[in-house]
Amino acid sequence: MLLFVLRRLVLVVPILIGLTLLLFVVARLLPGDPVGLAAGPNATPELIASLRQEFGLDQPLPIQYWTYLTGLVTGDWGMSVFTRRPVFEDVLTYLPATLELVFAALIIAVVVGIPLGLLTAVYRNGVLDYATRTLALGGIAMPRFFLGLLLQLAFAAWLDILPLSGRYPLIEIPPETVTGFYTVDALIAGDWYALRIALAHLALPAIAMALSPLATIMRMMRASTIEVLQQDYVMTERALGLSNRLILFKYVLKNAMTSTLTVIGLYVSWMLGGTVLVETVFDWPGLGLYATQAILTQDFMPVIGVTLVIAIIYLFTMLVVDVLYGVFNPKVRYA
Amino acid sequence: MLKLNKRQFLIGAAGLTAAAAMPWSAGAAGRKIMVFASTVDIPNFDPHVATGYAPQWLFRNTYDALVRVVGNPPEPAPGLAKSWSHSEDGLTYTFELDENAKFHDGSPVTAKDVEYSFARLLRLQKGPAWMVEGILDETSVKASGEMTVTMSLKKPFAPLLSVLPWMFVVNSTLVEENLGSDDGQGWLLANVAGSGAFKMGRARPGDLYQLVRVEDDWHKGGNIEGAIWKIVREAATTRMMLQRGEVHFALDLFAEDMDAIKDIPGVARIMEPDYRSFSIKMNTAKGPLADKNLRKAISYAYNYQSMLDAAGPAELMSGPLPTGMFGHDPDLAIYRQDMAKAKEYLAQSEHKDGGFTLTMMHAAGYENQRRWCMIMLESLKALNIGLDIRPMVWPDIVAMARSPETMTDLYSIFQSANYADPDNTAFAGYHSSRNGQWQNPVYSNPEVDKLIEDARAEGDPAKRATLYRKFQEVVIDDAPDIFGVLELRKFAMRDNVQDYAFCPVAANTMEVWPLSLA
Repeated sequence: MLLFVLRRLVLVVPILIGLTLLLFVVARLLPGDPVGLAAGPNATPELIASLRQEFGLDQPLPIQYWTYLTGLVTGDWGMSVFTRRPVFEDVLTYLPATLELVFAALIIAVVVGIPLGLLTAVYRNGVLDYATRTLALGGIAMPRFFLGLLLQLAFAAWLDILPLSGRYPLIEIPPETVTGFYTVDALIAGDWYALRIALAHLALPAIAMALSPLATIMRMMRASTIEVLQQDYVMTERALGLSNRLILFKYVLKNAMTSTLTVIGLYVSWMLGGTVLVETVFDWPGLGLYATQAILTQDFMPVIGVTLVIAIIYLFTMLVVDVLYGVFNPKVRYA
Repeated sequence: MLKLNKRQFLIGAAGLTAAAAMPWSAGAAGRKIMVFASTVDIPNFDPHVATGYAPQWLFRNTYDALVRVVGNPPEPAPGLAKSWSHSEDGLTYTFELDENAKFHDGSPVTAKDVEYSFARLLRLQKGPAWMVEGILDETSVKASGEMTVTMSLKKPFAPLLSVLPWMFVVNSTLVEENLGSDDGQGWLLANVAGSGAFKMGRARPGDLYQLVRVEDDWHKGGNIEGAIWKIVREAATTRMMLQRGEVHFALDLFAEDMDAIKDIPGVARIMEPDYRSFSIKMNTAKGPLADKNLRKAISYAYNYQSMLDAAGPAELMSGPLPTGMFGHDPDLAIYRQDMAKAKEYLAQSEHKDGGFTLTMMHAAGYENQRRWCMIMLESLKALNIGLDIRPMVWPDIVAMARSPETMTDLYSIFQSANYADPDNTAFAGYHSSRNGQWQNPVYSNPEVDKLIEDARAEGDPAKRATLYRKFQEVVIDDAPDIFGVLELRKFAMRDNVQDYAFCPVAANTMEVWPLSLA
């Protein structure tokens, strides 16, 4: 398996090089003038030219790309024309907020979705099945930003039991940064008040983000469980007198997980790429908002940087998913 | 490793959920911290480099300028300078500095700092340097005493006191200590070296910037201990934050937001005329609209009433200068929809039968601009002219404005006044030296240039007003723009904000220190 993981890691390199090349070319082919924009409305042509030189944008495209590629290895991901800050630092600033949100949503989706999928498969066409089917339909069909607004209206504006937006109250100081995850940092600091506040702020955006993957995971789990329940070995186990709980959790769950695992893996990248709407509604200072700002100002380097981070996380997630296949199904061999 | 049985796990999970749902803003009450919600980030803290309204808010509260601008109509007020005078010919200004003024590190603000700041601003030629282009250079501002500054102008410049509020003074010692190889730009990008009422607290780019009142602040007034510039992108979220009292000022609201908040208790709406105008620029240098008669035909064909109806709270412009600004003449002969005259001018043009298509651009995402394009489409139909409407993102607009070749036939823009003087609108929007910039991509008329230059050099208000009247007449006759609407400045504040007075210049970059929270 080690060889398999190593080989997959090596394959990541050409994929990332290809991706950066594609992004680099597409970003430069777009019309528009990010330097002119960043320089402001009253900039002189000399100032614009000097800025262009400062950011290396006066160089031929292949040289710009080579400079960028060699910089990537040393942690120099270029500079944002708009904020004048190093992209790598910006990404490190915004990434934890997004990852915390994505992980929280994923935990909700998995912890609720998988048991519900199992239960609805076992008690199919029952009340629970119909209820969750409606929930699934709504979860998949409803746009995340709209769900976010509804949640805000219900839990923040009307009931006033959860905060409206943000990661932490505006005038309070969040726990000292260790991981950048406020919940984890609060735990590390042993600050229960901060943990409670961070969780309260996380609740609504995470639910808004989780509903669609939750619905898909639940339906996927239900379908694969139903399929597995009809297998001969399940019948044999029943004939042998094994308890339903043992059959379900020891044998059926593992086999039904394989396809659900793929969906979970895909949803990680889907959520990473799609946090922007939820981040906007909940004013969550993450990578999505950073990328939006960069796209609107055609700030190439942050756009490439964010895409690269999402690609790296996606590739590693899929690698983890592939490894987990073997954990759930020992028949899977890594070649 | 921690091991939990099922019951312990369930109890733990329920406990965490309950804890999360408990009151979550215990420490917020009682502190005089004013929160501003805006959609705009503050990417750069250097007052001699950054532009835009969000940085301007930061500068007005962390730095000081020689002169401030206050009131409605806007008037110059003492800032770092407690008094000033100028020579008969208007070429020399002398400023006496306030002895109480001190930087955040406690050192006094001296004439040497003022000299250093102007030299740096004019050396870098960034930020607000364009406002005094051709008027001041690196050597024009001198410390003529410990607390006396002398400003020698290259030529008379009547709006000088109107532009000075945007030229901030830095702590020269501190900047010199952190000069680097770029004149301190790298350091001032993320640090403050000012004498303003607040110093920088937390700075979380893309999220919030917190200012903390300086201990023993030399500005006397207000009870605000701190201020937060909070970036909120979604209008619905801003409205709810305002409703809950989480923000005190919501700065970027549209007409529909103002309707939505009108009955919310504790929220005061501010809708005041200011100098922010909307107009439709025409490509006077290339294509069919280089023909003045065609431009006039379109100016008469456009349905101004529909434009006003679509605009929400607004008023129609009458000429190139904003209504209410010094020099604006309300009695000018302006264009209003008159199809007979439109057809008359079309007949005099080289395109008398129409039968061609013009291109028009609007900023993507601005619904009002899109509506105004649709009104143009309808209006041009009557002249047998087609219209190709293209939404563009802002970087594309900046690039498009570069030359007559890249500019679309028509394009719609908002323009704010950076300082309270007609020179701002006239120079940025109609002087040929600004060609290639989005405020004036192509329009050029030597007579207009001369009038603008004469007016900015004229010290006598009556003579200036006459020059601006002539300027407006010539520009209206040239018809380079469809003079559109002046939208009311729209923002909202909580009713516990005290001592706030609207100022039509930079209305959304208010000084915080004179304000109080009840």
